[in-house]
Amino acid sequence: MDVLELARTQFAVTGSLHFLFVVLTLGLAPLVAIMHTRWAISGRPLHEGMTRFWGQIYVVNYALGIVTGLVMEFQFGLSWAGLSHYAGDVFGAPLAMETLLAFFLESTFLGLWIFGWGRLPRLLHLACIWLVALTAYASAFFIMIANSFLQNPAGTVERGGRLELVDWGALVANKAFVFSFPHVVGAGLFTGAMVMVGASAYHLRRRTPDAEFFTRSLRTGVVMAAVGIMITVAFGYAQFAGVQEDKFSAKTWAAVPLGFMIEFGQLLALVVLFVMLPMIGVLHRWRWTHPLLIIMTPVPFVLAVLGWLAREVGRQPWMIWGKLTVADALSPGLTPGMVTASLIGFTAVLGLLAIVDYALIARMVRRGPRDLALGAPAADAPRSPALSL
Amino acid sequence: MDVIWFAVFALLLAGYFALEGFDLGVGLLLPVLGRSRDRRDRMVAAMAPYVLANEVWLVALAGTLFGVYPLLEGPVLFGLYPVVVAMLLCWIVRDTGLWFRRRLGGPRWRAFWDGLVWLGSLGLAYGWGPALHGAATGSPLHPLGLMLGVVTTLLMAFHGWTFLAWRAPALTGTARPGRALLVSAVVAALPALAVIALSAPHLLDHTTPGTTLNVLSLMVLPFAPVMLGAQVWVWRTFRPGEDAPRTPSFF
Repeated sequence: MDVLELARTQFAVTGSLHFLFVVLTLGLAPLVAIMHTRWAISGRPLHEGMTRFWGQIYVVNYALGIVTGLVMEFQFGLSWAGLSHYAGDVFGAPLAMETLLAFFLESTFLGLWIFGWGRLPRLLHLACIWLVALTAYASAFFIMIANSFLQNPAGTVERGGRLELVDWGALVANKAFVFSFPHVVGAGLFTGAMVMVGASAYHLRRRTPDAEFFTRSLRTGVVMAAVGIMITVAFGYAQFAGVQEDKFSAKTWAAVPLGFMIEFGQLLALVVLFVMLPMIGVLHRWRWTHPLLIIMTPVPFVLAVLGWLAREVGRQPWMIWGKLTVADALSPGLTPGMVTASLIGFTAVLGLLAIVDYALIARMVRRGPRDLALGAPAADAPRSPALSL
Repeated sequence: MDVIWFAVFALLLAGYFALEGFDLGVGLLLPVLGRSRDRRDRMVAAMAPYVLANEVWLVALAGTLFGVYPLLEGPVLFGLYPVVVAMLLCWIVRDTGLWFRRRLGGPRWRAFWDGLVWLGSLGLAYGWGPALHGAATGSPLHPLGLMLGVVTTLLMAFHGWTFLAWRAPALTGTARPGRALLVSAVVAALPALAVIALSAPHLLDHTTPGTTLNVLSLMVLPFAPVMLGAQVWVWRTFRPGEDAPRTPSFF
């Protein structure tokens, strides 16, 4: 492989890994916030248990979201210095806003939510998780603005060999952004909801003692999955109104992941809307459906990555559509040796950590809502039962 | 406006050293002060509530570099390629070490991730020497930069020790007041402050044009009180006191 292919591979591998964790973060953040709200209102141990159980899965997933995101942020400077040289005055602004307005606050409020358990007043603690959810979506908002600018450089003019920002409003009203952002939001909600459905089905199938806990989780999951998949499909098709000419023509292989995503996405939409949603009252009793629900859990993740592959591969050979090619965006002086070394390092370390993270999440799901670390009092404080049903 | 954004940039860099500096310092001191598992747990628990709010200063710094100094972002990061990659890997293992160390019960599991927290903290603390020197001069693997790494490592270890003496004096054997922590924070930030002061003219020369800067200012500056307020809230919530050791430690 030449240096361009290596750098693209590095971006594709780390970007796909990043989104696997981000898509679940986006879905679980509002779900956990809703559960926490129920708990704050009712004060019931059942709702506390749901907040802590799903909250713990949320934060353990979040860990890999952070560390893969760090690589994404610095990779622009490492491999793609040509992009900031040509268009940094435009592309840098939404990325700066993402770090300052979204992630800075998200990380700070998440720390307060995790470690403020039992210390913060009830409503302020609740406010923290809603602020985490809000800033997570602000993050997605700014990142999608930046990505949509690459797809369609609206609101800019070229002057002296560089792109200049002339109209921030046009960047936000970008036809490549307005439908893709809700599409991503819907996909996140759908993925988070399907993880809830799959994990609940596992416990209901095994007849573990937490039947009420997982029946309620299953229902919440099914409702949110229906909402999520409707948003995803509607805004998925709407995007074709603003797609670049020739993007998915036969000459690029971007049409392949796109086709798979649409076929399986539609199938899932039919299953969720016309089978799972009408059966919501009996789904927890119909144990023969549970293995199917468990098997469906990873599918939204695969579809989400296919969606990104279609969007990004379809952009080739352009880094910025019609303006700058990926070859010209490469850092001048980048050697295959440099990228090979960092590609191996990032792939090995992040790949191993991702496997460990998923193994930990699977283990937490299997153990169910007992002995939860999130929100547990410190070791030397008097212990109360983690959950009493 | 470009002076305001330079001040923001300098504040983020100095803030990172003053805040994340003590997290890295505590990580460095794990094998020194934390010879038993219980002591390591208490060291990590002391810094845990601050870590998420501290490390994010560097993320914000990198974002500001991209938004405000786009012409420098590429050359600076690319010029430091091996250093940046190594530091990112260290950051990754330090963070996951903290997130994972208590997720399974076994002593060897926890010792393994504690080792990675130490290794990651060491790599990051040391890497700042070549990184700061390289960012200022353009040569990442200069002997001066390598020596500066020893200085940043020692300063952060000192800062970490002062932090523990302030928040969990039982671990250090001596107590230090908040004033001492403030002093060690300034000391830990000195190398960064020196570099930013030397680079000020160069940075100001490369500020992004007015249109972009105005958009950034309009979007970001109104939220600056919220950002600072959130940070202050962290420090108010987790200040030391009778119930500080009972803060739940997820890490």
